[in-house]
Amino acid sequence: MTLAFIAFFAALALVFAILVVTLRQPMRSALALVAHMVSLAGIYAALGVDVVALFQVLIYVGAVMVFMVYTIMLLDDRDTSYRTPYSRLALPGLVVSVLVAATLLRLLLPAEEAHALGGAPGQASSFAFATFSVAFMRHYWLHFELATVLLLAGIIAAWAVIREHK
Amino acid sequence: MDRLALLPALPLLGFLVNGLFGARLPRAVVSLVACTLPAAAFVLVCLLFLDLRASGAPITAELWTWAATAGFRLDFALYFDPLAAVMCLVITGIGTLIHVYSIGYMRDDPGYARYFAYLNLFLFFMLLLALGRNLVVLFFGWEGVGLASYLLIGFWFEDRAKTAASLKAFVVNRVGDTAFLLAAFLIQATAGTLDFASVNGFFATTPPAAGTATLIALLLLLGACGKSAQIPLHVWLPDAMAGPTPVSALIHAATMVTAGVYLLSRMHVVFEAAPDAMLVVAWLGGITAFVGATMGVTAWNLKKVLAYSTMSQIGLMFMACGLGAFSVGMFHLTTHAFFKACLFLGAGAVLHALHGEEDMRRMGGLARRLPFTFAAFLAAALALCGLPPLAGFFSKDEILWMAWAAPQGSPFLWLLGAATSLLTAFYVFRAVFLTFFGRSRIDAAHAQHLHDPPPSMSVVLGVLAFGSVVGGFLAMPAAWRELLGVGAPFYAFLEPVLGQPTTRPDVPHAAEWWLMLVAVVLALLGIAAAWRRYGAQAPAEADLFRPGSGARALVARGYYFDAVYAAVVRLVDGVSRTVLDAAERTFAAGSIDAPADGARAASRWFGRLQTGSVQAYLIYALVGLVAVLGWGAVRG
Amino acid sequence: MTDTYSLLVALAAVLFAVGLLGVMARRNLLAVVMSLEVMVNAVVLAFVAGAWHTRTLDGAAMTFFIYVAVTCEIALAMALLVLLARRRGSLDLAAIEELKG
Repeated sequence: MTLAFIAFFAALALVFAILVVTLRQPMRSALALVAHMVSLAGIYAALGVDVVALFQVLIYVGAVMVFMVYTIMLLDDRDTSYRTPYSRLALPGLVVSVLVAATLLRLLLPAEEAHALGGAPGQASSFAFATFSVAFMRHYWLHFELATVLLLAGIIAAWAVIREHK
Repeated sequence: MDRLALLPALPLLGFLVNGLFGARLPRAVVSLVACTLPAAAFVLVCLLFLDLRASGAPITAELWTWAATAGFRLDFALYFDPLAAVMCLVITGIGTLIHVYSIGYMRDDPGYARYFAYLNLFLFFMLLLALGRNLVVLFFGWEGVGLASYLLIGFWFEDRAKTAASLKAFVVNRVGDTAFLLAAFLIQATAGTLDFASVNGFFATTPPAAGTATLIALLLLLGACGKSAQIPLHVWLPDAMAGPTPVSALIHAATMVTAGVYLLSRMHVVFEAAPDAMLVVAWLGGITAFVGATMGVTAWNLKKVLAYSTMSQIGLMFMACGLGAFSVGMFHLTTHAFFKACLFLGAGAVLHALHGEEDMRRMGGLARRLPFTFAAFLAAALALCGLPPLAGFFSKDEILWMAWAAPQGSPFLWLLGAATSLLTAFYVFRAVFLTFFGRSRIDAAHAQHLHDPPPSMSVVLGVLAFGSVVGGFLAMPAAWRELLGVGAPFYAFLEPVLGQPTTRPDVPHAAEWWLMLVAVVLALLGIAAAWRRYGAQAPAEADLFRPGSGARALVARGYYFDAVYAAVVRLVDGVSRTVLDAAERTFAAGSIDAPADGARAASRWFGRLQTGSVQAYLIYALVGLVAVLGWGAVRG
Repeated sequence: MTDTYSLLVALAAVLFAVGLLGVMARRNLLAVVMSLEVMVNAVVLAFVAGAWHTRTLDGAAMTFFIYVAVTCEIALAMALLVLLARRRGSLDLAAIEELKG
């Protein structure tokens, strides 16, 4: 059953990803991207990794994509990139991405015998919110603090880039 | 022996001091260093000479092993035997005198220190040449004196003609050196050693095939011709007069040009094993003597007359060697060193007084103005003519006697020598009369302050003139010895090395007196002829400057030797240039231009990859990434 | 390869390639940035699949930090895009050739 859900959401994610790449107008691409991210969140939820599914929707869709939509609304100029959405390198790019996909599949897919941790997929309980948070804070508290510093730096950098120089 | 090793080191030290620091030292210090070191060397030679006479055994000094492989061993070793002793006495003795002379002669020259450095360098190499115990050390000195000669001929290097002359000397010498090297290779191949004692022993006991010995001897002869300015390699000597006159006296009269005679004497066993080659040596010497004398008759430059005279006299020395009379050749070398150096230095005094005028047609009447110089010059000239009892008489007469009486001698060879004597007397007294007698034809500009040279120069002239007068008594010819009941210390001294010359048994001893008489008469005839032509009535100036015709022109142009050589050089140059151009076109175009053009085209093609588009660069990066990952994936 | 893990990893690889295609082939800068997001999402998916498969926490924790990084990146990317659009008047990548040669 779970597998059916996962397969469904996976197919959706793939379709929307292709739409992101192929739609002509950036606004439509952005909406396709939102749908793509929600599909991924669905996969995570079906897997039982609630924490990440939550983060995906809250942070990624809720903050990042909204911000992108604002920017697109600001900058949506109808310039030449609308009439000719693809650069001259589309074909070589296609070839290269196929090659990349093939190489990655070859490298990443485990061999049939290498089922070190076979058996049933992971229990949902280890990814429940409470246990996850406690374990997270126990092991990654330093990274967490550094991440906040990074965010601060990001804010300052963004402001520094955008301000007018007198 | 330490003293022997010290001997060449002394002038080398002088070269280093004056060469490195001379420009910064005061003139007095430079002169002191430059002259006392050769003088000390002379004293050293005298001491070694006394040791040699006392012990009778040659003194050796093995300095170090230069090369040692299987079957070949080369030591840097010095060897002081009677032959080397004679050479070293001449080199250091006359060398020191000329150094002293140069103090006065080169007083006003800005390159003073450099001059003395080169002169000391020359002494160093010449001593190595004379003292070498094997062919390689000799060759080291041989080449070195060639270098010193080049440096000194072209001493006033701002003058293009002078540097051309120095280059000519060096290149012509090179031809001789090549022959020398070939001879050395052959000797190594046949005798297995280059050490003189061993080589001479080998050729004495087990001489190789006659053909090989003759070839070796002829190659050595060619090498000697290069150094001693004999035909066909004589063309550099007249041009070498471009250097300062003391240089001409030392290098091109007394020492370097006599190196050929020394070589022949050193390798005398090799020559004695090849009688055909000895014949060639004798006739070559005779012909050179005659040709040189004819060229001396037509030359107008005082120094060039003396140069041709040197060439001619060395021809006589070669003739003596070719006839087996090596010690006689060495004796003439010694006497010649005295009177030729005296002649050159006298000419130098004349040049010094006339501020550089060398053309005899613009001299005249100097006997009254330069009396001391005239006296010395006259004494040396008489010695050169071979008038008794001056030194030249005894040495030259012995050679002429050998030409008549030696086993390979012949009346024709004697005739060459006699004719040479006649011409010698003629041209040298032609020079005397033109320079010192008659009305003065000197340019007003050069006629200022005509005076005898300063003491540093005139003392040397006096010493050399004295040697020219009395030196002959060291080795009087056999007839005189019998008459007076005295020995010949010179020949006796050299006998252990060079043996005694032999004469044909069928020639009567009395012939020697007749030949001597004829020689003296010829000399007097020559002087008389010169007096008639150039002395009695002053020759008309117009006659002097008229260019000669016919035979006179032929001789004046050096029998066209220079023209022929120049044509040969041009031919070779043309051929090599053609070959080089063809090679360059095919080779360079194919193997150098093609890759260069290819590289340029490739770089232009690669340059087109940089389109400025970030996406393109990303594709490049990913292609590389895929390649790497794919390779890893394929290999598993 | 019918098990979930393989499917998820394969999906991550394919999504990554799709995003890569968008980065290389689109002319509009905004589209390029969005394709970049697709690539990041693919990476997150890979992490999650790994965490789920091995039943460890670390993969999930990593995703948290990836979100932080992406947030900063987007903030700055958008700022730069605004500046670029202000300066050149268009967001067309093909027109920017200053790196040429």
